Amino acid sequence: MKALLGCLAAALLWLGAPGEAQAHLVNTTLGDFYDGMLHPLTGFEDVLPWFALAILAAFQGPQRARWLLVAFPLGLLAGGGLWMVMPKIAYVSIAGAALIAVIGLAVATALVLPLPVTVALGVIVGVVHGYQNAQAMTELTDHLLFVSGVVATGYLCITLTSAIALTFLRGSGGWRVIALRAGGSWVAAVGIMVFGLQFATGTAT
Amino acid sequence: MRNATPRASLPLAAMLTLVPLAPALAHTGTGVVVGLQSGFLHPISGLDHLVAMVAVGLWGAQLGAPAIWTLPITFPLVMALGGVLGVVGIQLPLAEQVVALSGIALGLLVALRIRPPLWIAMLVVGVFAVFHGYGHGRELPQAADPLAYGVGFVTATGLLHLCGILIGVLVRWPLGEQAVRACGAAVGCVGLYFLLVAVGAIQ
Repeated sequence: MKALLGCLAAALLWLGAPGEAQAHLVNTTLGDFYDGMLHPLTGFEDVLPWFALAILAAFQGPQRARWLLVAFPLGLLAGGGLWMVMPKIAYVSIAGAALIAVIGLAVATALVLPLPVTVALGVIVGVVHGYQNAQAMTELTDHLLFVSGVVATGYLCITLTSAIALTFLRGSGGWRVIALRAGGSWVAAVGIMVFGLQFATGTAT
Repeated sequence: MRNATPRASLPLAAMLTLVPLAPALAHTGTGVVVGLQSGFLHPISGLDHLVAMVAVGLWGAQLGAPAIWTLPITFPLVMALGGVLGVVGIQLPLAEQVVALSGIALGLLVALRIRPPLWIAMLVVGVFAVFHGYGHGRELPQAADPLAYGVGFVTATGLLHLCGILIGVLVRWPLGEQAVRACGAAVGCVGLYFLLVAVGAIQ
């Protein structure tokens, strides 16, 4: 018993011993990855169309939705890569706003698209958003880590949201489709207005 | 100095515990949060907008399927077009008056239980939506974060429609039907008040 108590006390002492506080992961060289992961979550520019895209994927059924889980992250990766090659492409933010409106309208009308169109839409959204997120990188940022973080968040968002939407749609009651379509009309409304604003003023949100 | 007795110190301690230790929230007035907050509060803080939004839901519920969902889906989409007019600075004549008129018209439609064909109902709601969107859209360029502002006010508008639909579900019962029509009459009265204010009849 004494030996056990001794071991326990020693273990507690060891656990309580002062050590380095690893709170700031930037020092572990993975900070840029986490920066990339968090960057799309700091505003609505990314998550709003991503959620809508995932709901649109759910409307296409699980077989087609699976393709988007590959196409969209690859698009994000390509967009990040495109920024590294061509960092000053104009009208990307206007294209982003237009995509919010287009995806929202597609959800509002519960549009069923051919598979190539679904995949192409996922890639285009991915490229535009990958590019927009990459614009936040500086010279000191590890580009690969940052873009990898953005891709990871994009993959998680699309996968989780489309899975939740598919499960939601499997339930009984026609109101479920209507609820998602109403949500799509909200997204489209936001997209139309922000597109109008950017078109009129040329500001980048 | 004399020490405080326990009897005296107890009320003092009680008073001190009531003093709120509020956090000092410096620099909260920027970006996404403020944009979202101001957008969300915009349709709620204006009673003329608020009652008209609820009336759209009430009317949709009163008309039944498919109007119960087509009207609340039509409204934000057309409202966005009105919002764009406001954003680009096009002057819509009599905007305040038409917003007030929308309360009167939608309230009367609910109170009198008028059941037009679906396309006419959508047209009526759509026309009023342009003017409501115009009012919101004029504020959009000044917002801290225009996208967050848009998300806020569209969400608030949708939730107000939902409130109207939930109240409108009462039409299944005879007494509920009367209550919904009474709500419509109340909306009409609020609209009339704002119309009189807008034309300067009431200061």
